[in-house]
Amino acid sequence: MQSRFVRETMTSIEEWIKQLRILDPKRVRVYEAFVDTVNMEINGKIYCNVKPRRPFPYTHPEYIIFFAEDDTELGILTDYRKLDRMSRKRLERVLKIIYYIPQIKRIIKLDTTKSRYEWEIETDKGVVVIKTWSRCTRWLPNGKLLIYDVDGNVYIVEDISKLDPKSRAYLDIVA
Amino acid sequence: MIKIGDEESSIEYFPSTEELPAVISNILEENEEVVVSIKSDISDLKYGEDTLVLTNKRVLIVRDNNIIRNIPLKEIESVEVNRYVGSLVLKAKTESGIKSLISYTRTRAKYFEKIIMLINDLTLNQIPYYIVRKHLKEQVEEINKKNSKRKILARMISFAKPFWHLMVATLALMMFSTIIGLLPPYLMKILIDQVLVPQKNFHLLMYIVLGLLSINLTLTILGVINGYLSLKLNQSLTYRIRKILFEKLQRLSLAFYDKYSTGSLISRIVDDVNRVQTFLTQSLGLIIIDITTIAFIGVILFSLSSWLSLIALIPIPVSYIGTTIYRKFSRRYYHRLWRKWSYVITVLTENITSNIVVKTFGKEKDMFKKFTRSLTEFIGMNFSVFKFEQKFWPAIGFSFTISSLLIWWIGGLKVLSGELSLGSLTAFTSYMWRFYQPINRLVNNLRVLQRATISGERIFEIIDADLEVKDEDDAQDFEFKGHIEYKKVWFTYDGIYYALRNVNLKVKPGEHIGIVGPSGSGKSTLVKLLLRLYEPQRGDILIDGVKINKIKLEAIKRQVAIVMQNPRLFSASIAENISLGKENVTLEEIITAAKAAKAHDFIMKLPEAYDTHVGLNGSRLSGGERQRIAIAAAILKNPKILILDEPTSALDAITEEEVTEAIDNLTRGRTTFIIAHRLSTLRNVDKIIVMDRGGIVEEGTHEELMKKDGLYKKLYESQFKGFLKQQKKVEEIVAK
Repeated sequence: MQSRFVRETMTSIEEWIKQLRILDPKRVRVYEAFVDTVNMEINGKIYCNVKPRRPFPYTHPEYIIFFAEDDTELGILTDYRKLDRMSRKRLERVLKIIYYIPQIKRIIKLDTTKSRYEWEIETDKGVVVIKTWSRCTRWLPNGKLLIYDVDGNVYIVEDISKLDPKSRAYLDIVA
Repeated sequence: MIKIGDEESSIEYFPSTEELPAVISNILEENEEVVVSIKSDISDLKYGEDTLVLTNKRVLIVRDNNIIRNIPLKEIESVEVNRYVGSLVLKAKTESGIKSLISYTRTRAKYFEKIIMLINDLTLNQIPYYIVRKHLKEQVEEINKKNSKRKILARMISFAKPFWHLMVATLALMMFSTIIGLLPPYLMKILIDQVLVPQKNFHLLMYIVLGLLSINLTLTILGVINGYLSLKLNQSLTYRIRKILFEKLQRLSLAFYDKYSTGSLISRIVDDVNRVQTFLTQSLGLIIIDITTIAFIGVILFSLSSWLSLIALIPIPVSYIGTTIYRKFSRRYYHRLWRKWSYVITVLTENITSNIVVKTFGKEKDMFKKFTRSLTEFIGMNFSVFKFEQKFWPAIGFSFTISSLLIWWIGGLKVLSGELSLGSLTAFTSYMWRFYQPINRLVNNLRVLQRATISGERIFEIIDADLEVKDEDDAQDFEFKGHIEYKKVWFTYDGIYYALRNVNLKVKPGEHIGIVGPSGSGKSTLVKLLLRLYEPQRGDILIDGVKINKIKLEAIKRQVAIVMQNPRLFSASIAENISLGKENVTLEEIITAAKAAKAHDFIMKLPEAYDTHVGLNGSRLSGGERQRIAIAAAILKNPKILILDEPTSALDAITEEEVTEAIDNLTRGRTTFIIAHRLSTLRNVDKIIVMDRGGIVEEGTHEELMKKDGLYKKLYESQFKGFLKQQKKVEEIVAK
């Protein structure tokens, strides 16, 4: 008896990829930005309350997937920076709140004497005092460093070599 | 007295006639050679020694120089072991029935395993003796070569070969520092005799002080340089040994990992490497320096005063004997102390980890009592150790004091009589203490050498371990179509029990095979052999007509994938774990694989999505989520042959449905083996094979197997008992 499985062809990853809905940035426009949603046009069709999400928020923040209000996937934009200037600006506004990840510019103080570390840091969003556990850092494959505080907030060091020597010395203690 | 687990007396390969019981040499025939003799530790129901002697013609059992069993090899079908509480009995299966050969405790089991394999090779596996002999001779020579203590030391030193310049430099610096360090007492002698006592030569005073200052500065600088070089040597050496070990561990087959516990392997890479490194970088140099220093100071002491030198030697034998006795007994005391402390930790851990049990059963007071009692015992043991130590150290210290007082007394008299200068006496006492220091250190370092040799042995055990699974010279790499054949495959993990017995199986490309059977029936072993995690002892496994030992391991790893019941993820992001299936993967491929594995939706609901760190072993994800990520990695790998080992057994009904959908996507068109306890999982397979005690007992479709009224039907009915009863009742009601 011929196996029913033999007759079925093996689906390779290349064939599956064809089913992904990759969007052409020239055919995408963002009209309005609300707190965490946008109204936009994709391939000539208007969508409201679209939820933009980053599948790789740290390693490839330029990569965006758009979800409709009912969580249906509308498409993938491999680099949102290729959108027209206004669309990009509106989208970034929404992304900045969805991915609220302060970028650390300087470490002013680090107290490691307690079981929880206490940091005073200067970020692109202002100066803040945070508390972390002793194991609180995570290196990303692209050399960026994430710091998680005790409440689960994330802070990022985009390029450690650009920090001042004092901040680097503090990071050496924990990372 | 029988020493339990005494390896040296356990096993002798190709022993000489002197090493054998006398009765054996008398009965050996022409062309008969003793292959191995092994001693048991049970004889006539008590601790004692029986000896099993295997020759190329027979198996003999000797007790008190009498042969109590004599069985020709040609009569033996196979040998096997029966395991009991505290003992094992080796039995021979012969034409005239099963005969007991020898009994031994579990301690000797590992040595007997080798013999069992040997006898089975000659009997069950019918391997000609000349092949077994050649192989065994090579093994024995290799073991002897590797195990000589001197060889181990030489091999340990060879680790440092690439850093010989660093070793020489640190040794030279240490030697130089030691020599410079010997100068101050001599300068003190000049200071006292030529400046302080005669109260003149003020310029000499200045030179001596400047000299002492220079010595101090030089020693400090040399110390810093030496510290840096030693650190460099330490780190380079540790890096090299650990790299070699890790590399070897990566290449070893699963059979090796079955023999050693995780703790034992980690301890070899961490503790044993540290011990060898400490010996090579510190103790070895110190041993050389100390021997030189002892000789050097000895000459100085005797040149200053031979009488006083003899008195200075008095405490050395006292110290040596005292320390030796102390070491012999202190182990017991410190071991007891360690056990008491370990008990404190056990009670504490138990109280914390099983806190819910303590609370729900109201056992707080009992646990408190248990804890305080363990603490009291630990404190009591500390006092016992203190009392024990007081029996040695004050006495040893006192011998040094007596010797020192005698030197001051006799030396003082010699100074007063003008036979010895005051400076010489001061220099003598100062050198004397510098003489004792390297002696004590040498005794310690010889102990370090002993321990490092043991650690070296443990390290070489890994380095020298045979690569059971490796590429043959003519191994080939090709694209699989997926045709698989098992031909008379036999496999045993321990040389005693066969996990697979004479397995024959043919699978067509793209076919889906369900494997069922009770626990321990050999289901997982069957597929592990296909992955070449182990090598079968007999028989062949072929992929597309090529024996798998003639296929490059790389080709198998690339084209055969396994999804396990509890897949282990690496401590990395979800994206990195999915990417394990393919090199240079694109983001689109990661997302696509996750979609096909029905993982994309839950991943996108996580705030950090594909960049989410899964935690150690994937602990931050649920079983079903881990399963789907493992399937995504397998999809990305695009294997030709797929093994699913109980993929849905640990999942709830809803998750199972999602994972089953993912599996359908994964298995489409691929040769697939699905091991399952839950027979419902196998509803879509082409063929089901039923395994029992290592063999395939039934084969066919579900319908065919149900008609056979065999093991499959029994398994099926036991799983669906309730459901079938219910169905029967419904049918009865409908019929009415």
